[in-house]
Formats: sequence, structure tokens, C-alpha cells
Amino acid sequence: MSANMDHLTAGPPAAEATFQELLTPLLGSAYGAALHMTRNREDAEDVVQETMLRAFRSFATYQPGTHFKAWFFRILTNCCISRHRSRRDEVTMSELEDGPQLYLYRKGRELSVLPDGPDPALSTLGRLEAEQVASALQALPDEFRVVATLYFVEDLRYQDIAAALDLPIGTVRSRLHRARRILQVKLWQVAEDNGLVRGRSHREKANP
Amino acid sequence: MSTMTQYTCEEAFRRLDDYLDRELAPEEMHLVREHLQGCEMCAHEFSFEEQVLQEVRTKLSRIEMPPDLRSRLLQLLDEERNSAGGAP
Repeated sequence: MSANMDHLTAGPPAAEATFQELLTPLLGSAYGAALHMTRNREDAEDVVQETMLRAFRSFATYQPGTHFKAWFFRILTNCCISRHRSRRDEVTMSELEDGPQLYLYRKGRELSVLPDGPDPALSTLGRLEAEQVASALQALPDEFRVVATLYFVEDLRYQDIAAALDLPIGTVRSRLHRARRILQVKLWQVAEDNGLVRGRSHREKANP
Repeated sequence: MSTMTQYTCEEAFRRLDDYLDRELAPEEMHLVREHLQGCEMCAHEFSFEEQVLQEVRTKLSRIEMPPDLRSRLLQLLDEERNSAGGAP
């Protein structure tokens, strides 16, 4: 602990102020990302706190002028991974329904469409609450959820996600593309489950 | 640039995700854009996907942190700074 903090006593106060200046705008999205990664509000708070302290203690290793957000979210992702390493991911790959590209587009076409009316799939998506969209994201398995979170919530580019996760950019690309396809399936399921579109929802839920 | 040929629907569609994320090389971006200008169906599908991404991004950004969490974290940071012997 003390070894980690040696640089703080040696470093100028201005450097610490800079840390807070860099940190503060990221706290909201850091919480959102942690929530999607951990799927739990208490865990998300703990992760943000742990990330902040780890980042503060290792701020001397941050290279000024480089992408602080990517550096910070690399620490946050590591915190999430280490917390969940001992927990089994409840979603197995075999359970995944990997939809085709344009899944929502196709589902929308299956509904009746007025010639110049709003797209039914986009209308359905628009009626979903933020928490319902979050639940669809959180239904993705870890390797897809983490990449998708950094993409959707943090708006990071592929190379920044690759740096944050220490993955090749090609792996990030393929995981992200697949995550989007799975996410579209999940979003439609959430819409069905909430009665926004007719589907497997009510009868099957009542008589599984 | 003069050696570039036009993309087919399949070639453009294969680049859908990378195009929307602006992760293609400039010449590929140009070729996809050119295809979309001449293909109404592809343009419609690309536009649909872009709107889905935007809608998801907007909805996810509405997840708010607990109201007191920010102040608790900044107070903790202050305490950490003080315990480390830094400036108060």
C-alpha cells in the first residue's frame, strides 16, 4: 500500500488536482459501465470506488496527454473482471441466440407496416425504458457485454477498447459486431416480454 | 482513387458495422457511401441500423448514478489524498 502511494507525497499538488479534473466528468458513465458489467447496483458502486482509488494510486503511471478515459476504463474493466472471476457467468454460449444482421429490421417487416408510417421496430425500441434496454445489454455474456458497454456507454473507438481490454483490435471488432446482433435479439425479447409486441410473452410466461 | 470500382450490395453490407463506426479506411468509406447514394434499399437498411445504435446509446446514457455517490467518492478521494500526505 505505502509503496503504491509513494509518488503521491513526491508529486506536485497540481498533478493531484489534475486527476480530479480528469476523473469528475467520467464518474457518471463509469457507474453506468460498472452497472452493466456487474449487473448489480451495489457491486457497481464498489467497482467505481475501487477503480477511483486504484487510478489515484497509480496516477504516476498515467502518461499525460494520452487517452485518460481509455486508461481509466482499463482499470475499471480489470476491477470488474477480478471481482467476477470467481463467479460463473450464468449465460452460456450454447444458450445464445445469435441473430442475423438486421434482426430488428426483419422483425419490423414481419409486423404490419403502413406505407409511410413509422418503422414498427424502431417505434418499439423507442418505447422501451432505459432500464429495459440496460437489461438486454446485461443479458449478454461477459466477453460481449464488456466490449458492448465500452462501445455504447463510453463511446470508445475500437482501438481504445482494445487498449482498455488488452485485446487485439480484430477480436474487439468481431466481438462487438456479434454483440450487436445478440443485443438486437435480446431487445426484441424484452419488448415481447413487456407486451410491446405480440410474441412469446404472456401465454408462454403463464404456461412455461 | 481512379482504380476503385463500385461496391455491390453484398460488399457494402459486409462493411455495415465498420462503416457506421467510421472504422473503415477512407477509400472503403468512400466506396460504401457511393453505393448508398445509388442503392435505396441498402441506404434504408444502413439508416435503420444507425438509428438502432443511436437509440440504444441514448437510452443507456440515461442510467443515472445514485445522487449521493459522486459526493461520497470525492470525499473519499480527499481522505485518500490526506492520508497519503498530499495537499489537503
